[in-house]
Amino acid sequence: MDIAEHMLRTGSRGFRDDLGRAVDDLRRSVRGLGLSWSLAWHDVVSRYRGSILGPFWITLSMAVMVLGIGFLYAELQNIPLATTLPFVALGIVFWGLISQTVIEGCESFVQASGMLSQTSLPMLTFVWRTVLRNLATLLHHLVIVVAVIAGFDLWRVMDLPLALAGLALVLANISWMCLLTAIISARFRDIPQIVMSIMQFSMFMTPVFWQPGERVGLMDAVLTWNPFFHMLDAIRAPLMGAAPEASTFSVLIVMALAGWAVAFGLFTATRRRIVHYL
Amino acid sequence: MSRSAKPPTAPPRPDQAFISVRGLTLRFPVYGYDAKSLKKHLARVAVGGRLDQARHGSTTVTAITGLDLELRAGDRLGLIGHNGSGKTTLLRALSGAYEPDEGQIEVRGKIAPLLDLSLGIDPTATGLENIRLRGRIAGLSARQVEDKLEEIAAFTGLGPFLAMPMKTYSAGMQARLAFAVATAVEADVLLMDEWIAVGDADFQKIAHQRLLGLVERAGILVLASHDLDLIRLYCNRVMRMDAGVGSEVVSIKALDELLARPSVR
Repeated sequence: MDIAEHMLRTGSRGFRDDLGRAVDDLRRSVRGLGLSWSLAWHDVVSRYRGSILGPFWITLSMAVMVLGIGFLYAELQNIPLATTLPFVALGIVFWGLISQTVIEGCESFVQASGMLSQTSLPMLTFVWRTVLRNLATLLHHLVIVVAVIAGFDLWRVMDLPLALAGLALVLANISWMCLLTAIISARFRDIPQIVMSIMQFSMFMTPVFWQPGERVGLMDAVLTWNPFFHMLDAIRAPLMGAAPEASTFSVLIVMALAGWAVAFGLFTATRRRIVHYL
Repeated sequence: MSRSAKPPTAPPRPDQAFISVRGLTLRFPVYGYDAKSLKKHLARVAVGGRLDQARHGSTTVTAITGLDLELRAGDRLGLIGHNGSGKTTLLRALSGAYEPDEGQIEVRGKIAPLLDLSLGIDPTATGLENIRLRGRIAGLSARQVEDKLEEIAAFTGLGPFLAMPMKTYSAGMQARLAFAVATAVEADVLLMDEWIAVGDADFQKIAHQRLLGLVERAGILVLASHDLDLIRLYCNRVMRMDAGVGSEVVSIKALDELLARPSVR
């Protein structure tokens, strides 16, 4: 019987060779997606051990926030509750996915330092772990999504396949962001704080709760150049029976490609060093 | 590649494990510390690799320099050397965690690094959950873990405690569980940093048997240890490391002669 496992590691032979190895890491991590899922699910379970509601606590607090903000903004912006509440609910739920994944991305490698420094597990396994963990959390929050869809009759108007396509594009984008923050914050430990500030700032700059009014001047710029607006809109607009902006899907596709190119390029260049950063 | 690389004595058979390391050099960048001020004090120290000042404030530690190593199935290599001579670093490089800066490492066979038993153990999770998680990390599929679960659980001897969180265990009980999982995976290449001895006298005996069995079935063992008796007991070959430089691999019979050599420092 031939022994299948074979490992060959060499000193750097230039960028092209390193790229091949980075791609190999990617391939192995995708083949071992089951492990990422096991780790992710273990994270979810262990984070809420001993609590009765578990991850539904976040769902519950989100639901409270949705109701509070929904009523408040309906009043403030003078928009009927039937529009505001689903808008705010979907906004908060999917914003949670985006911002949590990017923020937790910072810890992906740092947290796994033990495993990275004594096994040959692919490094990207730990990026998928972060993404899958947030996806698992999202599954709990679907309660809110289903509630507004059912409660406000959105199922009559929504375009589910388009929303799912939007979700897929969002996942493609937050994964590279996760990889990028994971690498940079392994090297520079100030980054998680900065990322957190950026995400908080972005939450206010993105129409998560507030309805964008007429798109003129500054408002137009804020929306057009805000990647998070496109990400959120690609999922939320189809669910609310509206078409996302014409440019949104192309922006997301271009951003995913460019983002992955940058993040993967950085991964290729630093992969050998990452374990020493930890 | 490496000028010092020697051609292997015989080509390895495709069905057998082997390790081939040629001209391996490993450098660690250490970030955020400046060794300049320390360096003059460290000029002649008995431990550690070589410290070099690199650009922009980071320091480079050369942990392994130009190391060659050829091992075939049946080789049980003992690694000896001072603290910081590069033994653990070499084991980590063999496990695939550290990438060479120069030279190459080639390993055929499933590698089981038993370097840190607490790897992947979550103290808040129950014993059973930890067995599953650790098994997955060691490369078992979910199915294989379930198949082995009963055997591992029985070996720990922890019975109903397996349903309790690990943090309620005594240190000995934790070690039992960690040992049972870590040694449940069959491998062709076993890497060990010190011989693992855990638990009370009774458990040590069965643990010892289990480990011996694992070593016997594995093609290759690399064991780093300061305990020369242990090395004599389990190893048939030995290599001495000094400040990241490896000696040639000699038969265990030549251990005393190897020890008598002056250090390279």
